[in-house]
Amino acid sequence: MIKIVKRDQPSRAIFFFTPVLAIFLTLVAGGLIFFILGFKPFEALKFFFIVPIADKYGFSELLLKATPLCLIAIGLSFCFKSNNWNIGAEGQLTFGAIVSGGVALLFYEQEGFYILPTVILAGAIGGMLYASIPAILKTYFNTNEILVSLMLVYVSKLILDYLVVGPWSNPEGFNFPETRQFSDSAKLPLLFEGLRIHAGIFLALAAVVISWFVFYKTYLGFQMKVSGFSLKTAKYAGYKGKKMIILVFLISGACAGLAGVGEITGPIGQLHREISPDYGFTAIIVAFLGRLHPVGIIFASLVVAITYLGAETAQIFMQIPKYTGQVFQGMILFFLLASDYLLFFKIKFIGLKK
Amino acid sequence: MNTNLKISNVTKIYPGCVANDNISLEFNSGKIYALLGENGAGKSTLVKILSGVIIPDEGKIYLNENNLKLNSPLDAKKNEIGMVFQHFNLFETLSVFENLIIDSDEQRESVREKIDAIMKKYNFSIDLDIPVLNLSAGQKQKVEIIRCLLRSPKVLIMDEPTSVLTEQETSELFLSLKKFSEEGILIIYITHKLKEVMRLCDEVAVMRRGKLVSVSEIKNENIESLANKMVGQNLKTIKKKKAKTSSDQLIKITNLNFTSEDPFETNLTEINFSVNRGECLGIAGISGNGQSELFQVLSGEIISEKNSIEFNNNYIGDLSPQERREYLMAFSPEDRLEQAAIPQMKIFENVALNNFKSSNFFNNGLINENKIKEHSKKIISDFNVNTDNIELKSQFLSGGNLQKLIIGRELITSPDLLICFNPTWGLDVGAINYIHETLIKINEQNKSIILISTDTDELLKLSDKISVIHKGKLSKIMNSEEVTSEKLGILMGGAN
Repeated sequence: MIKIVKRDQPSRAIFFFTPVLAIFLTLVAGGLIFFILGFKPFEALKFFFIVPIADKYGFSELLLKATPLCLIAIGLSFCFKSNNWNIGAEGQLTFGAIVSGGVALLFYEQEGFYILPTVILAGAIGGMLYASIPAILKTYFNTNEILVSLMLVYVSKLILDYLVVGPWSNPEGFNFPETRQFSDSAKLPLLFEGLRIHAGIFLALAAVVISWFVFYKTYLGFQMKVSGFSLKTAKYAGYKGKKMIILVFLISGACAGLAGVGEITGPIGQLHREISPDYGFTAIIVAFLGRLHPVGIIFASLVVAITYLGAETAQIFMQIPKYTGQVFQGMILFFLLASDYLLFFKIKFIGLKK
Repeated sequence: MNTNLKISNVTKIYPGCVANDNISLEFNSGKIYALLGENGAGKSTLVKILSGVIIPDEGKIYLNENNLKLNSPLDAKKNEIGMVFQHFNLFETLSVFENLIIDSDEQRESVREKIDAIMKKYNFSIDLDIPVLNLSAGQKQKVEIIRCLLRSPKVLIMDEPTSVLTEQETSELFLSLKKFSEEGILIIYITHKLKEVMRLCDEVAVMRRGKLVSVSEIKNENIESLANKMVGQNLKTIKKKKAKTSSDQLIKITNLNFTSEDPFETNLTEINFSVNRGECLGIAGISGNGQSELFQVLSGEIISEKNSIEFNNNYIGDLSPQERREYLMAFSPEDRLEQAAIPQMKIFENVALNNFKSSNFFNNGLINENKIKEHSKKIISDFNVNTDNIELKSQFLSGGNLQKLIIGRELITSPDLLICFNPTWGLDVGAINYIHETLIKINEQNKSIILISTDTDELLKLSDKISVIHKGKLSKIMNSEEVTSEKLGILMGGAN
């Protein structure tokens, strides 16, 4: 007989085991889906998860996709750890990209060492401004940040759309929905000749280190955590709880904005309609798969980045729509939530006899 | 007609705990039965089984020899089992009458007649056409009782009915219950208050940790014997020694007012009192009369005028809680799980919530984990918190252990004044005793306490002086020897 028993205390081991279990279950279920579709499961999974990163170029692409995921997820971990459900990172990314793109266009055909830092800073500020809307509405008007931040995603995408077809569109661009190319001084340098991986990865790594330090080592991080769990407790302890809420949103927005900067000032070098394949939403999965822990998020962003690449490979070699990538992302989250049940309950196998 | 209710071998298992372990009990009409036990003893589970809210894993229930299938609260109603829950299930904005007819399919007029008849018979006076939110707790309870009586029940179950009532309302309730019993309704009375059992009931069943410990007649028991059965160990009774009356004033509140923008909060008007060193001032009152607001004003969660609070010859009315802690004040709020501690955080992290300069918990903005852990270990051993793992999330501590941790945390500064709000609310007798002993010790060390509590017995036991808060106003301050619980009850009800 199988019996489900409540754990007295979630064990530390199971806490890191369930994400691995979730990935394993995703692979099994993915294999099953491929089998039903008439492919050989192992071969299909190989195309999906191994072929894309087998060469140098593939590995660079992996890091390229993992960079924004990691950066956004780090930002989100500040919000999620303190119980603020910012799910509008996609919007903050877009708005950050708009602001930094605007600044980059101001420096059109100009050169100078100060241009790139200004553009990056503008992106971070753009993301912060956009994240401050749900934060302020939440703290002073008791609105639900989930709804506000989500709806603002679509607002920012429409603003971007308007800008790239309207006022900011390239005058010599034959009416394509895109802006002029940024000057080289406004672009993040590429790290290797012939590969698309760019200096944005250092921003992500810096974010990992800083977030770890702030959250685990500083009084500020402690206050954020407390305020997130309970504003009443924060007030009782004498913290400024509302300010903490706004602060985590700002951090989160800044990270998403930086991810936006990386997308437009990296290999692409201009603003256009589709600057992000929903990195802002996928990063939510990354944050949870990484257990909101900086190191976990690094690994999770790599795993999830593969699903983007694998989907493209699968489309090319197996004629499967690339949306399979989203199916895999969905499955990871699904199995992660399901296996989190094991955090609080354990399954006991006991003899049939009583 | 006699009613016989039999519970036979009922077992209910939850993940990680056996709430009811093979319980068998028999009740007969004409008597009032008490079901006594600490929080978590399994009383509520058993009662919910009787009222169809919970379905037992094993066991049967018989009413007059008929095996009952209670799969929903509706089944219980059909079988004439009535239940009045601790928390009222009334629609606040509907009128009393609308609340009463909501689950009835009879004609409005005939129900109204029935209600009038019931009210007349039992001497209830409630205006049927005013919204329920205008009623006092006692009146709301009467509405719930009338709702049960409308179905002429054979069994009436009362779950901790006096927790929200004043002394007078309690007496009225007891009179009604005795009347119902005389008329042949079987009454099961659930409580953890020993005095009430002695006063009201004929037979008592004691539960402890899911098991039935004893069934006996009240005349063979006394408060001590019942307490021992309930807790399972011999309790020593605590007595507070009379404090040496000092005239050394520690805190003085002058003309303190608080007007809230929130309609659900109570305004405080003209609060004046002072507390001397080594003294415990008790503040009694029915919950919702401004206790929470008073606590927040004293702790600094609500800022008031600078001169309204004088502490140790400093004016501190405009200081934040953290700044007040530096002046050696400490606070233990009412809500352990939502305010005083964070259940999802580890024990030592919860200790760091009481941050004061000399603690060195945080240096230059960085967390000094060693210092916090060192302090946490000390609190755990000094205050008997039943764990040795300070990395444990505090949600895994029982209410009593968590409260000990909180009090311990607040006392590490060895504060001159501890302000606590319902410090033993919802705790079991063992933990209550421990907290009471600790509070008495504080007074013996010539430190002071402001004890805001809704538990009159606790106040009478611990306080040197007592005042009553009613609708945001304090009564005059009385010496606790001159006060009886009856007198407090009158003041709590708003009379002078």
